[in-house]
Amino acid sequence: MSTRRRRRNPGVAYSDVKGTLRDRTVDALRDPTLADNLRTAGDSWGAGREVMKRDFGFDQMRDRARDIRRSNIRNMPALLAELQSNVRANGGVVVRAADADEACRYITDLARARGARVVAKSKSMATEEIKLNEAMEHAGLEVVETDLGEWIIQLANEHPSHIIAPAVHLNRDQVAALFRDEAGTDDVPTDREGLVAHARVRLREKFAQAEIGISGVNLGVASTGTVCIVENEGNARLVTSQPRIHVAVMGMERVVADWDEAAHILQVLPMAAISQDAANYVSLITGPRREGETDGPEEFHLVIIDGGRGALRGSEFEEVLSCIRCGACLYSCPMWQNVGGQAYGSPYSGPIGAIITPLLEGPSSPGSRDLPFMSTLCGACGDACPVGIPLPDLLVRARARSSSPAKRKAGLAFRVWSLLWRRGVTYRLTMIGWRLGLRIRGRGGWVHRLPGPGSGWTKVRDMPSKWPPRR
Amino acid sequence: MVESLARRKATVEVASSGDAGRAAAGWMADQGIVRAVLADDPVVDAIGLEPALRAAGIDVLRWPVAMGRREVLGLEGPEDVCGVTVPTLAVAERGTLVLEASVGHGRGLDVTNRHHVSLLMADRVVETLGEALAQTFADGRPVPSAVSLVSGPSRSSDIEKISTLGAHGALTEHVVIITP
Amino acid sequence: MRTCLSDAIAPKVWKATRRALERAGVEVKVPRGQTCCGQPAWTAGHPDQARAVARHTIKVFAGSDEVVVPSGSCAGMVIHAFPELFAGQPDEDDALDLALRTIEFTQFLAKHDLDPRAKACGALTVHDSCHMLRVLDENESPRDALAKVPGCEVREMAHTDQCCGFGGVFALNFPELSGRLGEQKAQAAAATGAPEVVSCDLGCLMHIAGRAHRTGIPLRARHISEVLGS
Repeated sequence: MSTRRRRRNPGVAYSDVKGTLRDRTVDALRDPTLADNLRTAGDSWGAGREVMKRDFGFDQMRDRARDIRRSNIRNMPALLAELQSNVRANGGVVVRAADADEACRYITDLARARGARVVAKSKSMATEEIKLNEAMEHAGLEVVETDLGEWIIQLANEHPSHIIAPAVHLNRDQVAALFRDEAGTDDVPTDREGLVAHARVRLREKFAQAEIGISGVNLGVASTGTVCIVENEGNARLVTSQPRIHVAVMGMERVVADWDEAAHILQVLPMAAISQDAANYVSLITGPRREGETDGPEEFHLVIIDGGRGALRGSEFEEVLSCIRCGACLYSCPMWQNVGGQAYGSPYSGPIGAIITPLLEGPSSPGSRDLPFMSTLCGACGDACPVGIPLPDLLVRARARSSSPAKRKAGLAFRVWSLLWRRGVTYRLTMIGWRLGLRIRGRGGWVHRLPGPGSGWTKVRDMPSKWPPRR
Repeated sequence: MVESLARRKATVEVASSGDAGRAAAGWMADQGIVRAVLADDPVVDAIGLEPALRAAGIDVLRWPVAMGRREVLGLEGPEDVCGVTVPTLAVAERGTLVLEASVGHGRGLDVTNRHHVSLLMADRVVETLGEALAQTFADGRPVPSAVSLVSGPSRSSDIEKISTLGAHGALTEHVVIITP
Repeated sequence: MRTCLSDAIAPKVWKATRRALERAGVEVKVPRGQTCCGQPAWTAGHPDQARAVARHTIKVFAGSDEVVVPSGSCAGMVIHAFPELFAGQPDEDDALDLALRTIEFTQFLAKHDLDPRAKACGALTVHDSCHMLRVLDENESPRDALAKVPGCEVREMAHTDQCCGFGGVFALNFPELSGRLGEQKAQAAAATGAPEVVSCDLGCLMHIAGRAHRTGIPLRARHISEVLGS
């Protein structure tokens, strides 16, 4: 009997990020390839969204989507109980994992007990959150991401830059180079179709070898105990049909009550995420193969993760649980559009990631506490969200909750500020002092360097000391 | 339905029950398909597909197949293999086929092979996804182990965010809509 | 409401607002003791400090008629955020009362169908601040007001709905990213061929003009009040 070493879960944010959040934004801004790739992605998403609104009635579907998800969260405990019961009734195993450690331990123990060596994975944000790949590799398993974008970044040893299109920051030449390294040959096509065909064959080798297939779950339908997996490529179809064992990893908030609700969300999701009115493949899986069936897994395990989600119910952040992980808020965000997802240092990037990463990790966690501040609060994300999450409001609340030495310093400054600015007389005095200072430092109507906190302003801009500003 | 399927980049033809077998076999022969794996389903027999395929010189296998995983995945054996499925329902609004796993219908028939032909009875088409799911998961009906909603051949936009066909599933999807 | 930004950077702006309103026949009062709506502290994550200052603002404007604000951002703060900021507070009703009476300057002109009888101006481009666009759900009132100005030619820039990158404390915390967005906005504005950019929000303008000046993009900037109250 092997000894079990309890792995301390290092949180949600990546443990190998360099520098501060601001440093990473500066690095990202220096990368012209990244800028081009993100702009292409953003423009195409924007154009697609217009088509969804104009031709497919996307806007009309959003209110109902919001109401469904809010009702799901209100009824979460009962729905999860029903889901669990129905999965079991259909021959599946259900495990409720309190945190990343429990989930990873269950899955690695299962792999060990079944003598598995190769694991084929389809895309799952929840498995990135709990750092499952690290845990499995640590346990000696070969883990292969089969989603094309995820496989590309696995080969590149990078983190994804977007929830739906993880390799959006790389272009085809960069991808061809990675494929050449993996295959150990220069004989790799350089056109898009050729690259995809090459990947198809390489990854089928892995499907043939894998004893375990691990997928995420887009929705769990309580009324029948069914997990829904939405994709365009077909790799999740293979992950859930070829290996002998299927493990589905699900965030506890991803539950809907019935097929009426599921049908609505399953239509809204691809519209919001990829501006299509249907995803290519949706797998609706209820337990393992039935008696007499000759393909499909013999075992089905559903691992439902709490990881801090349960505590959000009833809090001022409850609405984040409505999220269906479509990635629209990322595409719409001017910050994300300019720095990409890797700068966030978390599997969850963009506005939703900036809110939930510190929520799941803790308000003073250095890897994530600054994230809610990396936003102008422009509100584009709130407009983009198909389930009506008030993202800009939640960003402000997340800022109030965040805790850091810099924030405590700012807190002292604001205390002084509020003492001075809650009275007309002291307010006017600060204004006189400020305007005098501007006039003294001004050259030709502009101040080129401000001291202290103002230095952030003048690092990249001038401050007008006369108005209207001189050209 | 025809229009939505075309939107999904599937090819489609409509044929009567008497012609559908030959039509399907003809399409497969045109694609250079050398082997077909057929669902074990009454519709396949009703349209006489097997004899039509043999007449076209295409090797016929019937589900369940006695094949190792490598051959199922096309890593061994011929490349141009076609899976033939029989949808239980289809969604007109979206061009979506509903495939149910069962003893006679492998859950991977439409994705493991390079090509996919689907034999859709015209009276199995409903308008919306909601209707299709309500019927599939109706109270009292045993829940299938796997239901696959298939909307067009496999696509990936992971390289430069431009949609490319054929990442993992079938590269082609040909639907034969069978009228009485 | 003068706004603290106008007091700090451009008193001309609130004075032009008063002039425009008076020319349109409105009786204008400018309470002397007013300070700030509290937004800087609110968005910096210090709600208690924000509330202390906002409380003073509520008192200063208590019992007044409509409170007109030459800033979509400040109006948005009062209208949208005061309810949350004062939820459960003893003066919650007073806060809500002010929120109902507060209105952005060009929206006020549109609501009462007013003409400030502005002097002529030339070509310009309009920057829609995110607060106007998304919090107040408004992009018509500034353009309707400009349409009444003789000679005014509005040349729309590309991506008018894209944020300029100011974002209040964001400009200080993430200067490089803020500067990049500001530069993109300044370039889009200059690309229209219009010599100046006009907006309902002084914060955006300071930032766009400041970045334009630093990077050599030829662009002037004025607050919409300065055009309407010229």
